[in-house]
Amino acid sequence: MKKSTVFAFGLAAAVASTGPAFADKLDDVIASGTLRCAVVLDFPPMGSRDENNNPIGFDVDYCNDLAKALGVTAEIVETPFPERIPALMSGRVDVGVASTSDTLERAKTVGMTIPYFAFEMAVTANDKSGITSFEGMKGKVVGATAGTFEAIALENQVKEWGEGEFRPYQTQADVFLALSQGQIDATVSTSTVAQANVKTGKFPGISVVGKAPFDIDYVALFTNREEYGFLNYLNLFINQQVRTGRYAELYEKWVGGELPDLTVNGAYR
Amino acid sequence: MFNYTFHWNQALRALPQMLDGALVTLQIALLSMAIGLACAIALTLFRLSGNRILGGFATAWVEIARNTPALFQIYMAHFGLGNFGIHLSPYTALLVGIAFNNAGYLAENFRGALKAIPDTQTRAARSLGMTSLQAFRYIVLPQMLRIAFLPATNQMVWAILMTSLGVTVGMNTDLAGVTQELNARSFRTFEFFALAAVIYYVIAKAVTLAARLFAARMFRY
Repeated sequence: MKKSTVFAFGLAAAVASTGPAFADKLDDVIASGTLRCAVVLDFPPMGSRDENNNPIGFDVDYCNDLAKALGVTAEIVETPFPERIPALMSGRVDVGVASTSDTLERAKTVGMTIPYFAFEMAVTANDKSGITSFEGMKGKVVGATAGTFEAIALENQVKEWGEGEFRPYQTQADVFLALSQGQIDATVSTSTVAQANVKTGKFPGISVVGKAPFDIDYVALFTNREEYGFLNYLNLFINQQVRTGRYAELYEKWVGGELPDLTVNGAYR
Repeated sequence: MFNYTFHWNQALRALPQMLDGALVTLQIALLSMAIGLACAIALTLFRLSGNRILGGFATAWVEIARNTPALFQIYMAHFGLGNFGIHLSPYTALLVGIAFNNAGYLAENFRGALKAIPDTQTRAARSLGMTSLQAFRYIVLPQMLRIAFLPATNQMVWAILMTSLGVTVGMNTDLAGVTQELNARSFRTFEFFALAAVIYYVIAKAVTLAARLFAARMFRY
């Protein structure tokens, strides 16, 4: 009898000590009952606030869908573009649903899923600048939101042209304010954002003048690089969103028009 | 839990770029101090002049500069003036904002320094036949600058640190701007910001030390 007691204790101790070691982020989220998403709320129609100050937008709905699939409640954590990664690294959020471009440089730091959305880039210009196309920006003062895919591409372009000036602003709203005031002549932003901002009428004297010939900007969800279990779940979730038609539904609700293809022809992923 | 592996290599490789940014930071801080000093002396004279309009102007400047955030002052120099069609580049807006702030604080420093100089000196100078401007120029001003020198170095340090607010108006060539951009490209937030903090610390410390050495040499009786 003594022997079996010792054995039972030993077994209990072994189970207790090995159990928690296997809990990964996916377990933690399910156990905590809350999914904390980093969302940029300065980026309509992906993320913004309604008149009652509640977060709305494509990314907000996407986070809610993900929480529903996990059987937990969603918590939207507002993070400006430059603060998405610090928020993840300091453990304030579990996943970024924040229109994050999946560059190789960034993937060295965080784990990116398969693309869940894709942007085309558009040029928006101040009417007085006389800019009517992407090439027209050569030699002018241009700006974009610091830390975004288009800001990096535009700055490289300005360097390549060898004339003109690039200015990064901290928020999308500041970019359009500066554009409307004539501080900058043109900006490159995602076409969805450009149209949404021109439509608000808050920024008079600007219009969308054409497409920017940058690569399609695929954006991914992100979480900690080593959380394969969670990344695996997120990838499947994105696949299911497309498969079930929910992606098309959300796109129609927030953006409208032709649904961007999320696959790259001729390559596996 | 802080789960992060540091990639210091990447940050160190960007060091030359960041040091270039640090030079721009130092340049803006020095220029803003020079402009701020000139403005502060003018403000002090305005307040001493007894003219109500000039005195009121100086008081309003000092009040706004000292009682509103520097971020607000810089933002106003760019977007506020922009609303009226006056377009300052990020560099100029940052310089104007900090110089405005410096002038306000330095004017208060000078006011304190003036209080430490007995009135009898001015009266003695006047009785020797100096005009009131001469008395200020040759008797009061040198003493005032001397008393206010060490407090003013605080403002210099503050000006260096304030340059980091330039990122809000689209500045991308100073140390904070360069750091923000490196961070946006790579997401190695902690490495780049830690390195930037060290550089800011070194610059600020160097300025304080240089000022002490200068004061020790210059202000010997």
